[in-house]
Amino acid sequence: MVIRRVSLKFEDVLKNIMKITKNEDFKKGIKISVNNFEMKIREVFEKYPEINQLAEEIRETKKSVINNMDVYLDRAVTSMKKLGAHVYIAETAEDAREIINNIVGRNKLIVMSKSMIAEEIGLREYLEKIGNEVWETDLGQFLVQLEEGKPMHPIIPAIHISRKRAALLLEEKLGIKVPDSEKIENIVKKVREFLRDKIKNADVGISGANSIAADTGAIFLVENEGNIRLVTGMPPKHIVVTGIEKIVPSMIDAFKTVIVQAANIAIYPPTYIDILVGPSSTADIEQHRVYGAQGPMELHVILIDNGRKNALKHEFLKEQLRCVKCGRCLIECPVWRISANIWGGPVYGGPMGINWTAITLGEEEASELAHLCLSCGRCYEVCPMKIPLHEMIRHLKNVYNKKHNIIK
Amino acid sequence: MTNLTAVLSMINDFSKKYGYPFPVKKEELYSWAEDLSLPKKGETILYTGGLYQLIPYIEPLVDFLDKRSSLLKLGKVGVMASSFAKMILKPKEDLKKVSEGVLKNIAKLLLNVNKKIAFLYKKELYNGALLYDFGLDNTFAEHIQKVYRILKESGAKEVITVDPHSTNILRSIAPRYIEKYDIEVKSYIEVLNEKLENGVLKPKRLVSERIVIHDPCLYARFEGIIEQPRKLLEKAGYHVLEPPNSRKLTYCCGGLLESIVPELAREIALTRISELKELSKNVVTLCPICFINLRRVAPPDVKIDDISVYLAKAYL
Repeated sequence: MVIRRVSLKFEDVLKNIMKITKNEDFKKGIKISVNNFEMKIREVFEKYPEINQLAEEIRETKKSVINNMDVYLDRAVTSMKKLGAHVYIAETAEDAREIINNIVGRNKLIVMSKSMIAEEIGLREYLEKIGNEVWETDLGQFLVQLEEGKPMHPIIPAIHISRKRAALLLEEKLGIKVPDSEKIENIVKKVREFLRDKIKNADVGISGANSIAADTGAIFLVENEGNIRLVTGMPPKHIVVTGIEKIVPSMIDAFKTVIVQAANIAIYPPTYIDILVGPSSTADIEQHRVYGAQGPMELHVILIDNGRKNALKHEFLKEQLRCVKCGRCLIECPVWRISANIWGGPVYGGPMGINWTAITLGEEEASELAHLCLSCGRCYEVCPMKIPLHEMIRHLKNVYNKKHNIIK
Repeated sequence: MTNLTAVLSMINDFSKKYGYPFPVKKEELYSWAEDLSLPKKGETILYTGGLYQLIPYIEPLVDFLDKRSSLLKLGKVGVMASSFAKMILKPKEDLKKVSEGVLKNIAKLLLNVNKKIAFLYKKELYNGALLYDFGLDNTFAEHIQKVYRILKESGAKEVITVDPHSTNILRSIAPRYIEKYDIEVKSYIEVLNEKLENGVLKPKRLVSERIVIHDPCLYARFEGIIEQPRKLLEKAGYHVLEPPNSRKLTYCCGGLLESIVPELAREIALTRISELKELSKNVVTLCPICFINLRRVAPPDVKIDDISVYLAKAYL
């Protein structure tokens, strides 16, 4: 079952949820991931309890950034420019796409590492539409691209795709036959071969950012697959798309943030933490600086607002800007464990999805689906940033009730 | 399929007009206490919030919503609310007995530790949990003021609640809506545990059953009621088993979604019951909503019982 578009209508979403309750593959995929997650997350926090302390520190840091966003935004922009990056602030999704269009142009080969904000601005589809060849390089996101669907979790996007379906997608969409496809290793090997070729020849690499240090302009990315290192390191142009809420004051804060994010989705220690500071360069010959030694010669950073600045002024929604997008609230939510990202909004799913939908598309847009929240508070309990997700969703229910004249 | 606006309107309009979110006969909500002859005023009031009493009405309600879906779709909730008398739901008799039994047990357990309790009988109002949880804020604000006023007029300094929703609403939510709120709120579980700790409450008999506990979300995550029920049960000899998601990470039973999307609530309850039944066929609940949601999906060999039933067996 492929979910191509997620509706914001209660009845549509409920219909789709009830449909997937009858889809054994989908259910099995979620169940396996949830079981693994429950086991691993317990291990991570038993072994590394100091992560709770780090989360608390980041929570406070992010609160202060939210209250002084303009200061930190200016600081980050200045720091990144100083290091040779081209920095842009995009007010809307459309602005962001337009900026990227100007950087990329047409008939290019583009490789992307998984980024929820790229999903938010519909970047891959847009780049394809204007005449580029675009490939996702995160395995899960790549499979989602092949099925022309929607990621079902921000970190584990293909949570709903079984090995059988993955092999079938490769064969049907790319003509790649996987020998002995019962072995997941064989599927991974074939995807690696296919994507290596694309990455090697790509004109542009596009990534997100897990955190950005305002003091240095350093961009932090966390991953296991190694695709981010290649996407951000091999093509001659690298574009970073990110939300302004990813800015934190310092390198140390940025490091703590990625640690907390990785741990809360039970990927700990993460295989790689990538830190990018400006485009690649060398001054080895006569101290003359030349950009593009082995890495990209251009680095473009698009800082996206898309409703975030308005949220800064909102009593409830501003709380969501502390989100590190670990997606733990999803995987712990009893409704999400049935629905996956079918519930939440067109981009972000689950409890955080409802609130991010309110930020990026408007409160009224998110308000109908808010009524599928149990108010059980499990999301709040596990959220490393202690975002009162259930209370914010309750506020959105109130927005719906007012809009429909249920309460005067 | 649910007509969201219509169901929310019904909950809102009925609560406004009759003090309860569904068309129920008010006398049936306090009949459980008639033979206890409790005083109607006092410093300590036992407050049920009407939730246990609503259990026998849930299935008839779903049926009611289904049959009147054409009216609901037309948004004629006002028409429904005004012809209330014709719409009164009939409770399910077996569940009515269960809910009355639970409330009687609770009252007797409190009287047993010499707690002087009053009960409001016909003056008691619904706790407003659905209004709050569904974001029906204006109606909730009016409703909770009314609840508070009635409690104060009846002399309340202390309120003893019987379920997590009433505890949470009266202890943590109501003070946000009412200035100078000065009622102390305790769950009967907390009261009994205090009595156990200071030696006033002792089990009359030991029951060595293996039981699995299902923590309600509100007690565990928001009201700090986790250890107290375990101590009460363990002191009575029960062997209390912990499911994988328990205490602060307890897993919802489907909760309030039951009233707007029973089909989804059922799926959630199924997930939970499959965790619980692995450990024991005797499941203990501490909330009427959990009780009804889990009971509906439990296989025939799994017994869902309210904690008061287990406590009564040992302490009364």
